[in-house]
Amino acid sequence: MDVISGLAHGFGVALGPANLMWCFVGCFLGTVIGIIPGLGPAATIAILLPVTYNMDPTGGIIMLCGIYYGAKYGGSTTSILLKMPGEASSVISCMDGYEMARKGRAGPALGIAAISSFVAGTVGVVLLSFLAPPIAEFALSFSSPEYFALMLMGLSLVVLLAGDDIVKTVLSLLLGLWLTSIGTDLFTAQTRFTFGQISLLDGIDFMSLAIGVFAISEIMLSIEARERVRLLTIPKGFKNLLPSLEELKACRFAFLNGSITGFIIGVLPGAGSTISSFVAYGVEKAVSRHPERFGTGVPEGLAAPEGANNADTGGALLPVLTLGIPGGSSTAILMSALVLWGVRPGPLLMTQQPDIFWGLVASMYVGNVVLLIMNLPLIGLFTQILRVPLYVLFPIIMGVAIAGAYGVSGNMFGVGLLAAFGLLGYGMQKLGFPAAPLILGFVLGDSMERALRQSLTMSNGDPSILVARPISAVLLALAALILLSPLLRRLRNRQRGPAPGLPTA
Amino acid sequence: MALLKRLAGAMLALCAGLGAAHAEDWTPRRTVNVVVHTGPGAGGDAFARAVINVIEKEKLSTARFVVVNKTGGGSTNAINFVASKEGDDTTLAVYASNWTTDYLVQKDAMTSLQSLTPLANLIFEPALLVVRADSPFKTLKDFIDAAKAAPNKYKQAGGTPLGRDAMLRHILVAHTGAQWPLVSFPSGGERLSAILGGHVETLVLDGSEVGDFIESGKLRALAQVSDVRVPTFPKDVPTIKEAGYDIRIPLQPRGIVGPPKMSPAAAEYYRKLFAKVIETPSWKKYVEETRVQTSYIAADDLAAFLAKIADGTRNALKSANIEVIR
Repeated sequence: MDVISGLAHGFGVALGPANLMWCFVGCFLGTVIGIIPGLGPAATIAILLPVTYNMDPTGGIIMLCGIYYGAKYGGSTTSILLKMPGEASSVISCMDGYEMARKGRAGPALGIAAISSFVAGTVGVVLLSFLAPPIAEFALSFSSPEYFALMLMGLSLVVLLAGDDIVKTVLSLLLGLWLTSIGTDLFTAQTRFTFGQISLLDGIDFMSLAIGVFAISEIMLSIEARERVRLLTIPKGFKNLLPSLEELKACRFAFLNGSITGFIIGVLPGAGSTISSFVAYGVEKAVSRHPERFGTGVPEGLAAPEGANNADTGGALLPVLTLGIPGGSSTAILMSALVLWGVRPGPLLMTQQPDIFWGLVASMYVGNVVLLIMNLPLIGLFTQILRVPLYVLFPIIMGVAIAGAYGVSGNMFGVGLLAAFGLLGYGMQKLGFPAAPLILGFVLGDSMERALRQSLTMSNGDPSILVARPISAVLLALAALILLSPLLRRLRNRQRGPAPGLPTA
Repeated sequence: MALLKRLAGAMLALCAGLGAAHAEDWTPRRTVNVVVHTGPGAGGDAFARAVINVIEKEKLSTARFVVVNKTGGGSTNAINFVASKEGDDTTLAVYASNWTTDYLVQKDAMTSLQSLTPLANLIFEPALLVVRADSPFKTLKDFIDAAKAAPNKYKQAGGTPLGRDAMLRHILVAHTGAQWPLVSFPSGGERLSAILGGHVETLVLDGSEVGDFIESGKLRALAQVSDVRVPTFPKDVPTIKEAGYDIRIPLQPRGIVGPPKMSPAAAEYYRKLFAKVIETPSWKKYVEETRVQTSYIAADDLAAFLAKIADGTRNALKSANIEVIR
């Protein structure tokens, strides 16, 4: 078969000593920058571009790509240990990852993140190798109405992320939607809610929001609690460093869900790994037999998003390599690197430059193995972070968070925003508002608004365009189903016994 | 001996008087910061790095040049930053067409591009108006006539209403009376998916993407968005004027300016430097590869040229009912 011989050729290229080394270098660099908040793969690849200019294109793209997917492995480490996401795509991993760590399962959490990343990352590459051309065509059939329906479906997942109090959930969601609307409107070039601040013209940086609401508020709560004992139990012994068989079994569906969700959303230009990680988390909770335990440290709540953001890699590279269309900032820079070397991404790449296409694809199989081997032994090392006393650890987290916020914005205003979001997260926690809907609204609101306005521009203002198209109609129906699901569940519960009383906090 | 020579040189410089007397002798003593308005990898940043690459490769300067990314509010943060460096001889900036546009529509932009120290315009970025390869529109006239007969039926993918592609639409709509909407997408990738998927009919394709989509036969060019035919574009495609529409073509210039009140000696040094840049083989290779046009406009004419661009942009925005505040 064509694909098999292509892959065989690719492994020949990727396993050559030089390319194997570049793959390792890329994966290592990626893991490191993944751990550092505020330094993402897009910026790193751009900074390294001039260095790779004189490299052999195959080795170069293998290394740059390694940075891209390596960062997604590294991003979860600090989410789990410190509730401070290293990358945007690992924000949702804070939910159950950090709770696992609090229960003394930090080692297994890191293990699950690595294994899930490996499984889904590999599935993503397999799908990329075997299904590239037909899936690329499918992705093109997605137009704005489909995107709108997809985003709406994502947003409807909020009822699943919610706590008991639906009013507080909706308020939190609305706050997220408002925050994401701040900045310059793409359609009219008018500013919205910027209050004369130049720093707000480009909107609010997602990482500042996530780190503020999660990490900073967590520190404030811990200090307030005056906990003399350690917050996190240090895992002891080999048994507590790796996930147990039961935990892995619980993640069976999450591996599959993460792989498929991540890949499909990855293929769509403009959606990206952050959205895919949120959707995978929502799907996981929707089909779970015990959704109420999500957010308390269930392994599948960590495995699904971590898998999704890695399966996303194979998906996101697909339109780049087969159509020459980059879907996000990292893939756009990877493509400009290829162009710089005189390599033309597109339908002819596979046949005209098999070294690069198949070499790269094969290197991603290799890279995922390298990352797994690299990450598992590091678990022991990383969990040692928890030995550090809180009076040392907290200032370090604050320092890194502030440096990250400054690095992203390049000014003190970003640091001020971080502080404000820390206070916001603290206040919300105190008053019993869930943070997840806020984050979800922020991530999806922007794309959803854009897709709606694009659709209405295309149809001259006729909203029937949203339901007249089959894929969009199906997605909208799914959204409605998800929105109604808590109602159905409540009805079922009422038949069994009394509904839970209103929270008193 | 070398020491003696250097001493003699120093004496000479002293004799010539402190300050600006010997324009020839001024060289940057510190790292030169090149301000761009985009993040790493995007248009302005990539161009700045390419220019610096030429300077380093051809050893045109002993100084080190580094890119400083001042993102935020389109070009607003960058231009305000450059304005704040008044009199600084080791700060340069790479401008693009939005440095003119943002000042016209954003209250927060404090400084016009014309008030900075002009050094050199280096390139125009020509583009192509394209349709899908299987589109019924064979010429620009086909498209315009169809859009006149069925207003708002056909769509153009673009970015903000302030971009060059939108500007071209505003001007063509005002000139011909045809009507078609601009559907805004935040990234080039999304615009391309929209046209390749058949969800919009046309868009303005950057020159750098010609190889990927025109030569591979997926998209077809109706017209060159340029005053003259571009040698690296497909030979048989007419310019918009040749296609029968005598309009002002919205150009996308890129070039170099310095902060206000840069010392004349330093300005002279940079002007000479960039005049040399465009003559080198590395530069010619860059122009060839990225399908841009070298359009060197010397410092003396640059302010007038930028003012002319600002006037044209103002008119186009007004015709599209976009609020112009300056």
